[in-house]
Amino acid sequence: MKAATAVGRDNSLKALSRSINRPAITIAAIVLALALGAMRLPFLEYLRPVGDFYIALLQICVLPFLLATIPLAVRSAMASGSAPGVLKSLLFWVLMTVVAVAAVSVTIPSLFFSYALPDEQMMNNIGALLGRSADSVDVEFAIDARHAVEIKGAAEGGIFALIPTNIFASLSSNDSVRVLVFAAIFGVGMVLTERESGRSIFEALRHIQAVCVLIFDWFSLLVPIGIVALVAPQVARLGPDGFTALTFFAYPLLATGAVLLLAAPLFCAFALGASPGSVFGALLKPVMLGASTRNSLVCVPLALETLKNDLKVKDEPCDLYIPIGIATIRFGTILYFVIATLFMGTLMGRQFNVIDLGSLAVFSVGASFATIGLSGIAALAPLAIVLRPFGLSYEVAVPLMIIIDPLADMVRTMLNVAINCMIPSLAGGRAAMPTTQSAQ
Amino acid sequence: MVLRSLFSALALALCVGLWSLPAAAQSPVRPGLPRDLRSIVDVKVLRVAVTRFDLPSFHVRGPDGRLFGPEIEMAQQIGGALGVGVEFIDSAESFDMVVDYVAVGRADIGVSKLSQTYNRLKRVRFSEPYVTLRHALLFNRLAIARVAAGRPPAVVLQKYARRLGVIGGSAYVDFASRNFPDATVVEARNWDTAIENLLSGNVDALYRDEFEIRRVLKNKPALNVQLGSAVIVDQNALLSVAICDTCSKLQQFINYHIGVTRGAFTLKKLLDSDLGKSAP
Repeated sequence: MKAATAVGRDNSLKALSRSINRPAITIAAIVLALALGAMRLPFLEYLRPVGDFYIALLQICVLPFLLATIPLAVRSAMASGSAPGVLKSLLFWVLMTVVAVAAVSVTIPSLFFSYALPDEQMMNNIGALLGRSADSVDVEFAIDARHAVEIKGAAEGGIFALIPTNIFASLSSNDSVRVLVFAAIFGVGMVLTERESGRSIFEALRHIQAVCVLIFDWFSLLVPIGIVALVAPQVARLGPDGFTALTFFAYPLLATGAVLLLAAPLFCAFALGASPGSVFGALLKPVMLGASTRNSLVCVPLALETLKNDLKVKDEPCDLYIPIGIATIRFGTILYFVIATLFMGTLMGRQFNVIDLGSLAVFSVGASFATIGLSGIAALAPLAIVLRPFGLSYEVAVPLMIIIDPLADMVRTMLNVAINCMIPSLAGGRAAMPTTQSAQ
Repeated sequence: MVLRSLFSALALALCVGLWSLPAAAQSPVRPGLPRDLRSIVDVKVLRVAVTRFDLPSFHVRGPDGRLFGPEIEMAQQIGGALGVGVEFIDSAESFDMVVDYVAVGRADIGVSKLSQTYNRLKRVRFSEPYVTLRHALLFNRLAIARVAAGRPPAVVLQKYARRLGVIGGSAYVDFASRNFPDATVVEARNWDTAIENLLSGNVDALYRDEFEIRRVLKNKPALNVQLGSAVIVDQNALLSVAICDTCSKLQQFINYHIGVTRGAFTLKKLLDSDLGKSAP
């Protein structure tokens, strides 16, 4: 009787969460947030702590969820024997998607920049922003080495950002990527030792996963409030001056981002044999959570729930791919780096031929991997890897990118979530009815 | 006889002393005035050499050709303190020529944003600096980024070895050969020409003080995109009044004036000055 009451309470919570997170309410929250942000009302600054509080709540269960989900997914794949096939399929679609996203990211913005040139007024506005944000001088140095000031280069990410040398330090510092790598390695180890000894803690992990999902359901009730509290101050911070000066950057970013954001649900719908409208409505939840929090990892539980429960995508590719894919494959960053480079090139009067554009796509993909483990402004550092081969100044780009970042970060995260959600759909397709149990 | 002569001499000295008292009370000049000050006081004019061209924020010409600006005010205050008028000799074609005028005695002092240099110090005295500005470079971002090949631009600028623009006849000709021995120094006729050289790619960097570099970017913000600014933290331009080589008392006099009016020139005031808003 008690169990039945608990299940009923759980179902009513899910129903309430689903009701509150209907596409219409999500879109209304976004429109309200954008309108409030555009009005730049003074009280919006008071919403910022509310938004930060909401992100903090969401982060409570991210690391335990990842620690539980990934070993369970590894076990599920290894136990079913389908792991090689699923992995092969996922790898194929990841490669195809990276190539497609890189191609679209280069093609649309390069067409834009080849026809649109900044006028003198725009150059003045950009220059004024640059002069102001660069704190008046760009570089300081000393002739005499004894008085040398530290010459700071761009911070580099790289492969070392992936190695969990101290998992406890990674956990305490909220370093999700290292936790992911640890969980994957540990999951393989757990499966192998379970086969030898017959003992494991997978049931406990399944319980931890269920607890995390439940906690996340509680916080999902606050998604519309979170969207308004996080997006409105962010839009207000950008301000009309900054946006007007950098429309030249924002237009291709928004246009190409919109193309990719529409393409992802369409491909999902095609792969799942579902209506594009229903897929779009379902994916809106994790994508908008990404837009509001600007934190891809926070979206992992909701993305998994949406794919498995709402869109009925097979569990195995979702469990295997979504946590690792969202953390490591940053499609939004690829687009962002391409546009930033073309934008800087146009400002500096540099032309890009076809070979340059090909190289730009390759560098941007490579640099996007260098952002693993970095977030916010720190994730801009690998932009240097893309800019410098074309003789473009990273030092000029950074102040401009910082100005546009409130908008760009939202677009990047939306793309990361949406396109990563598409890959398990393409690799796994729709689950057979009734739905299989996840992570057995 | 001897006593009468002694008495006569004393009486004469007393008369001369009493006769000179009212004059001493009216003038700031005391008896025993050193030669360098006396020569100015005698002709009642302080001759001040300035450049023929304007130095925005320092001295400029109005529509009627009259000079004004903080350097002009400073010269007039010094003249006022000496109790003499000020005559501006504004025919110097270059900064070095202002120093030349002082060195050959055509002017008593020179004020035109003059930096102290070893070469100039061989010929004239300099007052205490009325403002100290750090040396700076204005550079073509693209050109420097190409040479830097992925390194920070400061690495290239520190050992700059390309074409470096300076104003001909300025202190920066000396500074450039001393601080950037590997660079090819390109002397421009004036600052406008130097900037044209930078924008046309004839040089990849210009060398001057922090004020002038920042003023260019402040007046034409669009240039921030193409041009970057770099400050050299261990090289200062000591902007001082050039004084004739033998005028030690005048130097002391001007140093005192600069000491009591310290703060009249600051980088912020100079950058914010309406006199600095003319085209670079």
